[in-house]
Amino acid sequence: MNPIQIAFSAGLVLVLAAVSVFSAVVLRNAARGGRAAGFGLLSGRSDFGELGRVAFIAHRLTGFAIFAFLSLHILDVGLYSVSHSLYDDVQHLYGTAPLRVFECGLLFAILFHTGNGLRLLAVDLFTTSAVRARQLLWAVIGIAATAGALGSALILAPIF
Amino acid sequence: MDASVTRASAESRPAAWERPARIVTVDDSSSRVFTYVLLRVTGLMLSVLVLGHFAVTHFVTDVAHDDSAFVARRLSSILWIGWDATMLAAALAHATAGVRLALADYSADAGRRRLLERCVVSFTVVLFVLGVVAIARAVHA
Repeated sequence: MNPIQIAFSAGLVLVLAAVSVFSAVVLRNAARGGRAAGFGLLSGRSDFGELGRVAFIAHRLTGFAIFAFLSLHILDVGLYSVSHSLYDDVQHLYGTAPLRVFECGLLFAILFHTGNGLRLLAVDLFTTSAVRARQLLWAVIGIAATAGALGSALILAPIF
Repeated sequence: MDASVTRASAESRPAAWERPARIVTVDDSSSRVFTYVLLRVTGLMLSVLVLGHFAVTHFVTDVAHDDSAFVARRLSSILWIGWDATMLAAALAHATAGVRLALADYSADAGRRRLLERCVVSFTVVLFVLGVVAIARAVHA
Protein backbone atom coordinates (compact mmCIF):
# COMPACT_ATOMS: atom_id res chain seq x y z
CA MET A 1 0.00 0.00 0.00
CA ASN A 2 1.24 3.46 -0.84
CA PRO A 3 0.82 6.49 1.52
CA ILE A 4 -2.52 7.67 0.10
CA GLN A 5 -3.97 4.16 0.38
CA ILE A 6 -2.77 3.95 3.99
CA ALA A 7 -4.38 7.36 4.66
CA PHE A 8 -7.69 6.17 3.16
CA SER A 9 -7.59 2.95 5.20
CA ALA A 10 -6.92 4.96 8.36
CA GLY A 11 -9.88 7.18 7.43
CA LEU A 12 -12.08 4.13 7.05
CA VAL A 13 -11.00 2.82 10.47
CA LEU A 14 -11.84 6.26 11.90
CA VAL A 15 -15.31 6.09 10.25
CA LEU A 16 -15.98 2.65 11.77
CA ALA A 17 -14.74 3.86 15.18
CA ALA A 18 -17.03 6.92 15.05
CA VAL A 19 -19.99 4.70 14.14
CA SER A 20 -19.18 2.37 17.07
CA VAL A 21 -19.01 5.24 19.56
CA PHE A 22 -22.23 6.82 18.25
CA SER A 23 -24.01 3.43 18.35
CA ALA A 24 -22.90 2.89 21.95
CA VAL A 25 -24.31 6.29 22.97
CA VAL A 26 -27.62 5.71 21.16
CA LEU A 27 -28.11 2.15 22.42
CA ARG A 28 -27.18 3.01 26.02
CA ASN A 29 -29.64 5.90 25.97
CA ALA A 30 -32.36 3.68 24.50
CA ALA A 31 -31.73 0.95 27.08
CA ARG A 32 -32.15 3.50 29.85
CA GLY A 33 -35.45 4.63 28.32
CA GLY A 34 -34.05 8.10 27.62
CA ARG A 35 -35.53 10.85 25.50
CA ALA A 36 -34.70 9.12 22.24
CA ALA A 37 -36.83 6.13 23.15
CA GLY A 38 -39.64 7.60 21.06
CA PHE A 39 -39.76 9.79 17.98
CA GLY A 40 -38.00 12.99 18.89
CA LEU A 41 -39.41 15.12 16.10
CA LEU A 42 -42.97 16.46 16.29
CA SER A 43 -43.60 13.66 18.77
CA GLY A 44 -46.82 11.77 19.16
CA ARG A 45 -46.31 8.97 16.68
CA SER A 46 -44.30 6.71 18.94
CA ASP A 47 -47.20 4.59 20.13
CA PHE A 48 -47.03 1.65 17.82
CA GLY A 49 -44.82 -0.37 20.00
CA GLU A 50 -41.44 -1.93 20.16
CA LEU A 51 -40.95 -2.38 16.39
CA GLY A 52 -41.39 1.35 15.84
CA ARG A 53 -38.74 2.05 18.48
CA VAL A 54 -36.33 -0.39 16.86
CA ALA A 55 -36.97 1.30 13.48
CA PHE A 56 -36.31 4.71 15.04
CA ILE A 57 -32.98 3.57 16.48
CA ALA A 58 -31.99 1.74 13.27
CA HIS A 59 -32.84 4.88 11.27
CA ARG A 60 -30.60 6.99 13.49
CA LEU A 61 -27.69 4.51 13.43
CA THR A 62 -27.81 3.95 9.65
CA GLY A 63 -28.12 7.70 9.09
CA PHE A 64 -25.01 8.40 11.15
CA ALA A 65 -23.08 5.55 9.51
CA ILE A 66 -23.91 6.83 6.01
CA PHE A 67 -22.90 10.37 7.03
CA ALA A 68 -19.62 9.11 8.50
CA PHE A 69 -18.77 7.30 5.29
CA LEU A 70 -19.90 10.27 3.18
CA SER A 71 -17.38 12.47 5.02
CA LEU A 72 -14.56 10.18 3.91
CA HIS A 73 -16.06 9.67 0.45
CA ILE A 74 -16.13 13.43 -0.33
CA LEU A 75 -12.41 13.55 0.49
CA ASP A 76 -11.43 10.48 -1.53
CA VAL A 77 -13.46 11.48 -4.60
CA GLY A 78 -12.09 15.02 -4.18
CA LEU A 79 -8.63 13.55 -4.87
CA TYR A 80 -9.68 13.41 -8.54
CA SER A 81 -9.37 17.20 -8.70
CA VAL A 82 -5.88 17.01 -7.14
CA SER A 83 -4.40 14.20 -9.18
CA HIS A 84 -5.96 11.46 -11.29
CA SER A 85 -3.36 8.92 -10.20
CA LEU A 86 -4.00 9.62 -6.50
CA TYR A 87 -7.72 9.12 -7.15
CA ASP A 88 -7.03 5.85 -8.98
CA ASP A 89 -4.80 4.57 -6.15
CA VAL A 90 -7.61 4.97 -3.61
CA GLN A 91 -10.31 3.90 -6.05
CA HIS A 92 -8.40 0.64 -6.56
CA LEU A 93 -9.13 -0.23 -2.90
CA TYR A 94 -12.90 -0.05 -3.50
CA GLY A 95 -12.59 -3.11 -5.74
CA THR A 96 -10.86 -5.24 -3.07
CA ALA A 97 -12.75 -7.93 -1.16
CA PRO A 98 -12.91 -6.18 2.27
CA LEU A 99 -14.20 -2.95 0.72
CA ARG A 100 -16.77 -4.85 -1.34
CA VAL A 101 -18.09 -6.40 1.88
CA PHE A 102 -18.18 -2.89 3.39
CA GLU A 103 -20.12 -1.65 0.34
CA CYS A 104 -22.72 -4.39 0.89
CA GLY A 105 -23.21 -3.14 4.45
CA LEU A 106 -23.48 0.39 3.11
CA LEU A 107 -26.10 -0.74 0.59
CA PHE A 108 -28.24 -2.36 3.31
CA ALA A 109 -27.93 0.79 5.44
CA ILE A 110 -28.90 3.08 2.54
CA LEU A 111 -31.84 0.88 1.54
CA PHE A 112 -33.25 0.68 5.06
CA HIS A 113 -32.70 4.39 5.76
CA THR A 114 -34.31 5.38 2.44
CA GLY A 115 -37.26 3.01 2.80
CA ASN A 116 -37.94 3.94 6.40
CA GLY A 117 -37.59 7.65 5.61
CA LEU A 118 -40.11 7.38 2.79
CA ARG A 119 -42.39 5.45 5.15
CA LEU A 120 -42.23 8.26 7.73
CA LEU A 121 -43.01 10.75 4.97
CA ALA A 122 -46.00 8.67 3.84
CA VAL A 123 -47.25 8.24 7.41
CA ASP A 124 -47.05 12.01 7.94
CA LEU A 125 -48.59 13.06 4.62
CA PHE A 126 -51.46 10.57 4.58
CA THR A 127 -52.61 10.25 8.16
CA THR A 128 -52.42 6.49 8.35
CA SER A 129 -53.29 4.19 11.22
CA ALA A 130 -50.68 2.66 13.51
CA VAL A 131 -51.51 -0.73 11.99
CA ARG A 132 -50.80 0.56 8.48
CA ALA A 133 -47.57 2.23 9.65
CA ARG A 134 -46.48 -1.13 11.07
CA GLN A 135 -47.36 -2.96 7.83
CA LEU A 136 -45.38 -0.39 5.88
CA LEU A 137 -42.41 -0.97 8.18
CA TRP A 138 -42.48 -4.71 7.48
CA ALA A 139 -42.69 -3.93 3.76
CA VAL A 140 -39.63 -1.63 4.09
CA ILE A 141 -37.69 -4.34 5.96
CA GLY A 142 -38.65 -6.93 3.34
CA ILE A 143 -37.74 -4.74 0.36
CA ALA A 144 -34.45 -3.56 1.94
CA ALA A 145 -33.45 -7.15 2.77
CA THR A 146 -34.33 -8.49 -0.70
CA ALA A 147 -32.83 -5.62 -2.71
CA GLY A 148 -29.81 -5.59 -0.40
CA ALA A 149 -29.21 -9.32 -0.90
CA LEU A 150 -29.54 -9.03 -4.70
CA GLY A 151 -27.27 -5.98 -4.81
CA SER A 152 -24.73 -7.68 -2.55
CA ALA A 153 -24.65 -10.69 -4.88
CA LEU A 154 -23.75 -8.32 -7.76
CA ILE A 155 -21.14 -6.46 -5.71
CA LEU A 156 -19.50 -9.65 -4.40
CA ALA A 157 -19.68 -11.65 -7.66
CA PRO A 158 -16.26 -10.47 -9.01
CA ILE A 159 -14.37 -11.83 -5.98
CA PHE A 160 -15.66 -15.38 -6.46
CA MET B 1 -33.44 34.58 43.85
CA ASP B 2 -33.03 38.35 43.76
CA ALA B 3 -31.08 38.17 40.50
CA SER B 4 -33.79 36.17 38.71
CA VAL B 5 -36.52 38.56 39.84
CA THR B 6 -34.52 41.54 38.56
CA ARG B 7 -33.87 39.85 35.21
CA ALA B 8 -37.52 38.89 34.78
CA SER B 9 -38.66 42.46 35.39
CA ALA B 10 -35.95 43.80 33.08
CA GLU B 11 -37.38 41.68 30.26
CA SER B 12 -40.85 42.90 31.31
CA ARG B 13 -42.26 39.38 31.17
CA PRO B 14 -45.44 38.63 33.13
CA ALA B 15 -44.97 37.13 36.55
CA ALA B 16 -44.80 33.34 36.77
CA TRP B 17 -48.42 32.95 37.96
CA GLU B 18 -49.69 34.99 35.00
CA ARG B 19 -47.99 32.81 32.39
CA PRO B 20 -49.28 29.48 31.08
CA ALA B 21 -47.59 26.45 32.63
CA ARG B 22 -45.50 25.60 29.58
CA ILE B 23 -44.32 28.17 27.08
CA VAL B 24 -43.22 27.03 23.64
CA THR B 25 -41.44 30.02 22.13
CA VAL B 26 -42.24 30.86 18.51
CA ASP B 27 -38.55 30.73 17.61
CA ASP B 28 -38.11 27.19 18.89
CA SER B 29 -41.19 25.72 17.20
CA SER B 30 -40.50 27.41 13.84
CA SER B 31 -36.92 26.12 13.83
CA ARG B 32 -38.31 22.65 14.56
CA VAL B 33 -40.72 22.92 11.64
CA PHE B 34 -37.86 24.16 9.43
CA THR B 35 -35.69 21.19 10.47
CA TYR B 36 -38.61 18.84 9.84
CA VAL B 37 -39.36 20.17 6.33
CA LEU B 38 -35.66 20.34 5.44
CA LEU B 39 -35.15 16.71 6.48
CA ARG B 40 -38.17 15.44 4.54
CA VAL B 41 -37.54 17.43 1.36
CA THR B 42 -33.81 16.63 1.14
CA GLY B 43 -34.59 13.03 2.14
CA LEU B 44 -37.02 12.67 -0.75
CA MET B 45 -34.43 14.12 -3.16
CA LEU B 46 -31.72 11.81 -1.80
CA SER B 47 -33.88 8.71 -2.21
CA VAL B 48 -33.46 9.22 -5.97
CA LEU B 49 -29.99 10.84 -6.06
CA VAL B 50 -28.16 8.41 -3.72
CA LEU B 51 -29.80 5.20 -4.96
CA GLY B 52 -29.12 6.34 -8.55
CA HIS B 53 -25.51 7.15 -7.66
CA PHE B 54 -25.02 3.77 -5.97
CA ALA B 55 -26.64 1.91 -8.88
CA VAL B 56 -24.45 3.65 -11.48
CA THR B 57 -21.20 3.13 -9.55
CA HIS B 58 -21.89 -0.50 -8.51
CA PHE B 59 -24.42 -2.14 -10.81
CA VAL B 60 -24.28 -0.34 -14.17
CA THR B 61 -20.48 -0.15 -13.87
CA ASP B 62 -18.63 -2.49 -11.50
CA VAL B 63 -16.83 -0.64 -8.71
CA ALA B 64 -13.48 -1.88 -10.05
CA HIS B 65 -14.05 0.22 -13.20
CA ASP B 66 -15.03 3.49 -11.45
CA ASP B 67 -11.56 4.87 -12.25
CA SER B 68 -10.53 8.39 -13.26
CA ALA B 69 -11.53 7.69 -16.88
CA PHE B 70 -15.05 6.83 -15.62
CA VAL B 71 -15.17 10.11 -13.63
CA ALA B 72 -13.94 12.07 -16.67
CA ARG B 73 -16.68 10.53 -18.81
CA ARG B 74 -19.33 11.30 -16.19
CA LEU B 75 -18.19 14.88 -15.65
CA SER B 76 -18.39 15.57 -19.38
CA SER B 77 -22.17 15.58 -18.95
CA ILE B 78 -23.88 18.60 -17.42
CA LEU B 79 -26.55 16.23 -16.09
CA TRP B 80 -24.06 14.38 -13.88
CA ILE B 81 -22.35 17.58 -12.71
CA GLY B 82 -25.76 18.88 -11.63
CA TRP B 83 -26.60 15.49 -10.10
CA ASP B 84 -23.39 15.40 -8.03
CA ALA B 85 -23.64 19.03 -6.89
CA THR B 86 -27.30 18.65 -5.87
CA MET B 87 -26.54 15.37 -4.10
CA LEU B 88 -23.64 16.98 -2.22
CA ALA B 89 -25.77 19.90 -0.99
CA ALA B 90 -28.82 17.76 -0.16
CA ALA B 91 -26.81 15.06 1.65
CA LEU B 92 -24.89 17.54 3.82
CA ALA B 93 -28.03 19.56 4.65
CA HIS B 94 -29.85 16.30 5.52
CA ALA B 95 -26.93 15.06 7.64
CA THR B 96 -26.56 18.36 9.51
CA ALA B 97 -30.26 18.53 10.32
CA GLY B 98 -30.35 14.86 11.33
CA VAL B 99 -27.31 15.02 13.59
CA ARG B 100 -28.59 18.25 15.15
CA LEU B 101 -31.83 16.49 15.98
CA ALA B 102 -29.95 13.55 17.51
CA LEU B 103 -27.78 15.90 19.60
CA ALA B 104 -30.93 17.39 21.13
CA ASP B 105 -31.79 13.92 22.44
CA TYR B 106 -28.42 13.11 24.01
CA SER B 107 -26.96 16.31 25.43
CA ALA B 108 -29.01 17.59 28.33
CA ASP B 109 -26.71 20.58 28.84
CA ALA B 110 -27.80 23.36 26.46
CA GLY B 111 -24.38 25.04 26.32
CA ARG B 112 -22.60 21.82 25.45
CA ARG B 113 -25.24 20.99 22.86
CA ARG B 114 -24.79 24.36 21.18
CA LEU B 115 -21.03 23.82 21.07
CA LEU B 116 -21.48 20.36 19.51
CA GLU B 117 -24.00 21.78 17.01
CA ARG B 118 -21.47 24.41 15.96
CA CYS B 119 -18.82 21.72 15.52
CA VAL B 120 -21.15 19.68 13.30
CA VAL B 121 -22.20 22.69 11.21
CA SER B 122 -18.56 23.81 10.78
CA PHE B 123 -17.59 20.26 9.81
CA THR B 124 -20.29 19.98 7.13
CA VAL B 125 -19.59 23.50 5.81
CA VAL B 126 -15.92 22.53 5.34
CA LEU B 127 -16.98 19.31 3.58
CA PHE B 128 -19.38 21.27 1.36
CA VAL B 129 -16.70 23.78 0.35
CA LEU B 130 -14.21 20.97 -0.34
CA GLY B 131 -16.84 19.14 -2.41
CA VAL B 132 -17.78 22.22 -4.44
CA VAL B 133 -14.11 23.07 -5.05
CA ALA B 134 -13.45 19.46 -6.10
CA ILE B 135 -16.36 19.45 -8.59
CA ALA B 136 -15.44 22.91 -9.95
CA ARG B 137 -11.76 22.00 -10.38
CA ALA B 138 -12.60 18.65 -11.95
CA VAL B 139 -15.00 20.25 -14.42
CA HIS B 140 -12.54 23.05 -15.21
CA ALA B 141 -9.60 20.73 -15.88
